[in-house]
Amino acid sequence: MSTLLIWIVLIPFLSAALMGLVYLTGLRSNHLFYTITGILAPLLSGLFSLFIGWELLGSSADVVLHVEAFQWIALGDFDIAVAFMADRLTAVMLFFITFIGTLIHIYAAGYMSDDEAYGKFFSFFNLFMGSMLLLVLADNPIIMFVGWELVGLSSYLLIGFYHQDAKNIKAANKAFMLNRVGDFGFIIALSVLFIALEGDAFTFESIKANIGFLDNSLIALVGMLLFVGAMGKSAQIPLYVWLPDAMAGPTPVSALIHAATMVTAGVYMVARFSFLYNEVPEVGEFIALIGAFSALFAALIASYQSDIKKILAYSTMSQLGYMFIAVGLGAYSSGIFHVFTHAFFKALLFMGAGAVIVALHHEQNIFKMGGLRKHLGLVYVTMFIATLAISGIPPFSGFFSKDAILAAAFASGNYGIWMMATLTAMLTAYYMFRMLFIVFFANGHEYSNIPVLSRMMTWPLVVLAVGSAFAGLLGVNEAYGGSNGFASFIALPDRSHQLSHLAEYMLGFLNVLMALIGTGLAYKMFAVSAKEPIGDTFWKSLVMHKFYIDELYDRLIVRTLRMLSVMSDKVIDNKGVDGILHLFVSGYKTAGLLFTRLQNGKVRYYALYILAGIAVMSLLMLDTMEAM
Amino acid sequence: MEAVLSYIIFLPLLSALSLGLFRVELRFVRIGAMLSSLLVFILVLLVAADFDPDGGMQFIRVLPWIEHYGITYKLGLDGISLVLLLLIAFLMPLLYLYMWTEERNGYWYNMMLLQTGVTGAVLSLDLLLFYLFWETMLLPIFIMIGRYGSGMRQFNAMKIVLMTVLGSMSMFFSILYLGYEFFAVNGWWSFALSDLSTLQLDPRTSIWLAGGFLLAFAIKIPLVGFHTWMAPAYGSAPTPAVVIMSAIMAKLGIYGLWRFGYGLFESTLSYYAPVIMTLAIIGLLYYAIHAIMEPNLRRMFAYSSGSHLSMIALGVFLTNIYAWGGSLYFIATHALSSAGIFLMIGLLYKRTRTDNIEDLGGIASYAPRFTFFFVFFALSIAGLPGTGGFVAELLIIIGAFKEEFWIGVLTATTMLSAMLYIFWMLQRTVFGPDTVATEYFEDLNGREMMMLIPIVALLLITGIVPSFFIPLFEPQIAAMLTDLLQSIGGL
Repeated sequence: MSTLLIWIVLIPFLSAALMGLVYLTGLRSNHLFYTITGILAPLLSGLFSLFIGWELLGSSADVVLHVEAFQWIALGDFDIAVAFMADRLTAVMLFFITFIGTLIHIYAAGYMSDDEAYGKFFSFFNLFMGSMLLLVLADNPIIMFVGWELVGLSSYLLIGFYHQDAKNIKAANKAFMLNRVGDFGFIIALSVLFIALEGDAFTFESIKANIGFLDNSLIALVGMLLFVGAMGKSAQIPLYVWLPDAMAGPTPVSALIHAATMVTAGVYMVARFSFLYNEVPEVGEFIALIGAFSALFAALIASYQSDIKKILAYSTMSQLGYMFIAVGLGAYSSGIFHVFTHAFFKALLFMGAGAVIVALHHEQNIFKMGGLRKHLGLVYVTMFIATLAISGIPPFSGFFSKDAILAAAFASGNYGIWMMATLTAMLTAYYMFRMLFIVFFANGHEYSNIPVLSRMMTWPLVVLAVGSAFAGLLGVNEAYGGSNGFASFIALPDRSHQLSHLAEYMLGFLNVLMALIGTGLAYKMFAVSAKEPIGDTFWKSLVMHKFYIDELYDRLIVRTLRMLSVMSDKVIDNKGVDGILHLFVSGYKTAGLLFTRLQNGKVRYYALYILAGIAVMSLLMLDTMEAM
Repeated sequence: MEAVLSYIIFLPLLSALSLGLFRVELRFVRIGAMLSSLLVFILVLLVAADFDPDGGMQFIRVLPWIEHYGITYKLGLDGISLVLLLLIAFLMPLLYLYMWTEERNGYWYNMMLLQTGVTGAVLSLDLLLFYLFWETMLLPIFIMIGRYGSGMRQFNAMKIVLMTVLGSMSMFFSILYLGYEFFAVNGWWSFALSDLSTLQLDPRTSIWLAGGFLLAFAIKIPLVGFHTWMAPAYGSAPTPAVVIMSAIMAKLGIYGLWRFGYGLFESTLSYYAPVIMTLAIIGLLYYAIHAIMEPNLRRMFAYSSGSHLSMIALGVFLTNIYAWGGSLYFIATHALSSAGIFLMIGLLYKRTRTDNIEDLGGIASYAPRFTFFFVFFALSIAGLPGTGGFVAELLIIIGAFKEEFWIGVLTATTMLSAMLYIFWMLQRTVFGPDTVATEYFEDLNGREMMMLIPIVALLLITGIVPSFFIPLFEPQIAAMLTDLLQSIGGL
């Protein structure tokens, strides 16, 4: 059974390699081959994941499947195997990654069908699937880090997929670099942890068993540094600026990688290290605070964007902020639950947006849309469901997962965080309905020849709409008459805080009220007619320009580095190092000139040298004789 | 079998001599060169198969040479030199494949002489023999740059030779002094490493003599401050010479630190450790920052090479198994990556007649295969997981943390340093809109693929199953470390 874990990871990699080889050998026109090989990989991995999930569902909560593929590095005590493990947390991740992955592969087969680099796309797409599954299944943090880096790589390749435009490559570079800054923290954390535990095996299980022997300050340091990694991958303040730009990639990529899966890796990582973070709750509170700031900040920006994909990108960042609030405050199962439901509705929103973009011949500005519900009925209905879900309207999925997070923030006594999160809930409903109303209602434009979307693109929307509507029912808590099935299945070591049912009802009511206020505002402002925002006041223009953070980073980091680079060449090397060398050279030359002057061919000079020589030698001899 | 190392060293030189003596046609020269390099490769594989990782120094061969001064022809192989030997033997046939259309005879002869020089330096166990090979390898480089190079080739050839010879002279002085000291103590001459390493020097002398060796290695690597020959030489040299310089000769500086630095001076080297580690950490970042704005690809990767070699040098001075293992592994994997990228730049130059970044762009639209290899090698230099470089960097970083937290943090900046220049370079070179130079860029042909695929394969194998290679050298470095730590502890 456990050997299936190897295949779950291996199949997408094999499929990527096979498609890559075929593509490079030049057999480029055969779409059918790529479609089948491309979709088969996540499908098979998904089926195997279901087996694994079934097995874990039937056994007790602490059963963990292990399998070692082969020994990777063994040097001194650094003994790392390519090994996989699956517990219930893994099973949940596996399920939605492969399920949504398969749907988006099918969708992509429609979306990308006219692209001449079709094969390359699916090769990269499955490279991503393999990397993500490697990250999720890793038995030790080092292999997790390998997967972590590889998802960054595949994200780079896919963001820069339309490589003729330098702008897209820039976006890809930005994504990879900021992710690497996070990875820098991650690798320091792992090294420190390894050295602290040197001599013991370095697997999650063994770290968990030995964590008690470590100093709390060391654990806090490791926890902070790991979170730096998460900031990069999951686009949190201050490493978030790559995510909006990442929308340069094809829309299926935005849906799968930059919404549903890769960006949630940071949340998964914190949950995976829950045993570590439970030792240092103060680090967790810092994580929650960053999450709350990111959530609010991104929601603010999203409210003023005009590009449909950028709105969704900031929305993703904002929702990721919620997830970090949860895992930071020790409500791991709520955090993962939100990861789970978010994957459905956010993938759906992106795929719907992609359908709109295709229908309007690559128009992404929502203010050039409007009234589309008459033309794109199915897309409208499904996106409406997703919008209800993300806004937290019961009984759609987002309500339950978000409600649990807000309850956890309130119950843990972090009222500042709770208030920011509640405000964000209102903004979420506002910017999402703003988008929905502008695109599908508002005053219609005249559209010429809207193409009929292929079934490959529309059916996945329907499936995801069902998921967005009902996935929340898996985790209804006691207050609403459920049994909190998700949390008890996933069995993470939550630091739980009890709330009375009454308090939960009140919080739930407040959330719905907030969502309705947001929706109402959006309706009033945008349902009938919509004008593109103009930055006429200071604050408006500040928000519209995303608080000038990109420009700040550019000035502070990019330009400084370039200036240093020029300086190192022109000043340090040419003037400094070579300057010293040239001193030697010119000294040598001067000495040469001096000697030529001495050796001038005039006999009386030579006689003088001989005389001087004899004088010196006599003095020396005298000296020696006296010594004797 | 006992003379096998001599065959490995001298086969290329003998082929060059016999081919040159009969003034044969070019097509026979290249076939001869290729055959000799393939034969050497097979011999090296046989040696590797016969190699006993726990056996310390083996395949030892001693012949008297200049008996009056106890100078011997002494060769031997251990886990460290095996890595370099495998590397040289693996890369040479691929370089010949690259040179296949090169029509100047002298090119071929120089490369064969170069192979003898670098292989000899790796296998010598007598200091004067080592010195001979060490200088031998400089000669073909001088000719390759000065005669077949580009740009200010003569000035640049002179610069590399003068700077390198400055180091060599100081090393030569140290060697002679050591030999004389040995004579003074024992009453008979010897220049064998195993003899000289038994000398008990007073600390002051030891520091001076070690300094002589270090200067030679610091220039060869090059560490920051000794590096201004590097970019001009890389910029002017023809591609095969660049590959040898970056993939092999620079690594011999590191090798020298191990074999002769630790071999002769053991604990004295730790006297220099703070200085060299500082220079290495500065180099790691300084070269990387320097590379950002560098307009020429070959010069950019010269700095890139300097950055990674600084990291390797750092690893050598972190005396623990992770850093040493990582450094040795990095020698091999960085050689593969840099060989790959410099070959790609050579192929690029053949097609576009330029290697200035601003003239390039948009290659990906015309040549997917070229793009794949180019991006792969570039990313492998940035430490792409799945390639050997990732493993090596990981090990060195862990070794650095074992030494000291802040050294670890500074070493880990290697995660950031390479990406500073790699990604922007890729954006302007292979992606974006095409230019006059890259329009209708011709994709790789079969011969070129044949030369690149083995490098890619080996980079992937070293990245995915490092546990296949590490046991080859682990016992050797573990034993050396134990000796070293004892000698430090004994002080």
